[in-house]
Amino acid sequence: MTINTVIANVIAIYRRELQTYFFSPLSYVVATIFWLIGGFFLVVALLSPAGLIAQVAAADQSGFPANVDVAYEFLKGYLGLLGSLSMFILPMLSMGLYADERKLGTLELLATSPITNWAVALGKFLAVLTFYTSLLLPIMLCEAIALSASDPPIQPLVLFLGHLGLVLLAGGILSLGMFISSLTESTVLAAIMTFGLVLLLWVVDLVGQALQGGLGEAVAHLSLLRHYTEFTQGILDLSSLTLFVSYIVLGLFLTAQSIEALRFQRS
Amino acid sequence: MIEVEQLSKTYGTTEAIRDVTFGVEPGEILGFLGPNGAGKTTTMRILAGYLPASSGTARVANYEVHTESMAVRQNIGYLPESPPLYPEMTVAGFLHFVGRIKGVSAGDRPQRVTSALERCGLADKRDVLIRKLSKGYRQRVGIAQAIVHDPPVIILDEPTVGLDPRQIIEVRHLIKSLAGQHTIILSTHILPEVSMTCDRVTIINRGRIVATDSPEDLRARLAGETTYEVEIQGDPRVAQQQLSTLANINRVEPMADQGATGPGRHRFLVTAPSTTDPGSAIASAVVQAGLGLFELKRDRVSLEDVFINLTAVDGVAATGETEDGAEAAVSSVDSFQAHAAAGNSAAVTDQGENAE
Repeated sequence: MTINTVIANVIAIYRRELQTYFFSPLSYVVATIFWLIGGFFLVVALLSPAGLIAQVAAADQSGFPANVDVAYEFLKGYLGLLGSLSMFILPMLSMGLYADERKLGTLELLATSPITNWAVALGKFLAVLTFYTSLLLPIMLCEAIALSASDPPIQPLVLFLGHLGLVLLAGGILSLGMFISSLTESTVLAAIMTFGLVLLLWVVDLVGQALQGGLGEAVAHLSLLRHYTEFTQGILDLSSLTLFVSYIVLGLFLTAQSIEALRFQRS
Repeated sequence: MIEVEQLSKTYGTTEAIRDVTFGVEPGEILGFLGPNGAGKTTTMRILAGYLPASSGTARVANYEVHTESMAVRQNIGYLPESPPLYPEMTVAGFLHFVGRIKGVSAGDRPQRVTSALERCGLADKRDVLIRKLSKGYRQRVGIAQAIVHDPPVIILDEPTVGLDPRQIIEVRHLIKSLAGQHTIILSTHILPEVSMTCDRVTIINRGRIVATDSPEDLRARLAGETTYEVEIQGDPRVAQQQLSTLANINRVEPMADQGATGPGRHRFLVTAPSTTDPGSAIASAVVQAGLGLFELKRDRVSLEDVFINLTAVDGVAATGETEDGAEAAVSSVDSFQAHAAAGNSAAVTDQGENAE
């Protein structure tokens, strides 16, 4: 099987999967919730009486100007919020990836077509990641409008890194969510289990912060959230990048293996 | 084209199939016949490379299904038990997708999709979403996806299930038209289906092959007698006597008169050796006796009888002729008969209502 066929197969799966998202009412519900809450956070973070601008203005008036870069502070805080919001959205995006195929019986079509499990998993993963990224686009537009007012202007690279971090974080969770989806025929069960995984990641982060010494350091290093925070601060650490990519590859690997195993245990 | 040797598959402790051996020649249609739960789907799935066998070998298009899975997948079209369809896609969109993952080149794809649509009578449903299609159309899309890449081997698991009688006939014609260029193996529990579409029949029961032969030979092997149903108007005793004196007649039995189509009419079941053909003799005997002849129908020995003979014998033998075994065999045959009867009435057959 040549590399060209594999790429053609990945693209075929990718296109079909993406089409599913754009034709499914569920994705529009998810998008609406994401945009509503994301937009609400944006307004609150900037303009509410407790928002960043009000705080800085109050500090200025009190005679002790806060020594903060509002644009960077806003970006960091808002990306943190978006990250948390995404944690609730992502399980709903990944839940159907394989569970639906299992329920519809279309997995039997894929498993009897000249296409590897890896190609299927990769195509699906790229499709769901693309859909998530497309959810971010309108929000990024709002951010851009807000940040265009900043003086001195914010560095485009910082903006890019922050959002790259968000997409990578989502990638890690979606990839593992895809694996969970491949374990069951029930989308609801897949969503609940993926949400459990997200909570577990949070716990890992908290444990990493709470524990002292080498162990705490090690646990903290595995935390996706901590590495994500670094990205939002505009820090590009190769180890963070490696960790995110490792999570994604792990998810793809487990998915491919679980589909292979499914064929052996099916009764 | 398909060679299956000593194939066995166990799920845990349950044996789904045991030592299944058969072959299919290029261009042939093989019918895989058996009651529900006999191991048809398991065999189909192994051939399609979806399940690994516990032991034995299966070769499709000269590739081993497990070790050379990718090559096998390239050469087969497979319709699983429930057609694998994405409800939110259009018919043509779905077939394009299948063409893509089956490796049909971009240049050939539009033409292949169109030809699959036409062959399956889906041309006017091209841009309809699959979830809006009726069960019969979905089944056709399932068949279309199995032939869209023009594979040398086509594996169809119960292709006519859920179709109405007219669609069943259309699908049978379609399958027949595919023979020649394609090697086809299809499974069914409906008897007239195999006698009408298949060149050869393999009967499977409780995971074992009971017989493999052409439908005619299977019939001939077990057909000792041919029966005729006769309906006359007049004195039944005269009729019975007249018919009994004919040459080549084994026996004449009166049938229940409820089946008669009018008052004063009587029905008889005339049994003759299958080597003879006394139809015209029966007709002239009735007429010469001055009786009215209202119906004369020949019931060929059906595959149904063959099947029941084969599976019942096997069922009893396999369990050492215990009462339980006999009972189990009978019950499996019973459920089978129900299906067969449903199939009979759904199809245009020459067997009529002899089940009643």
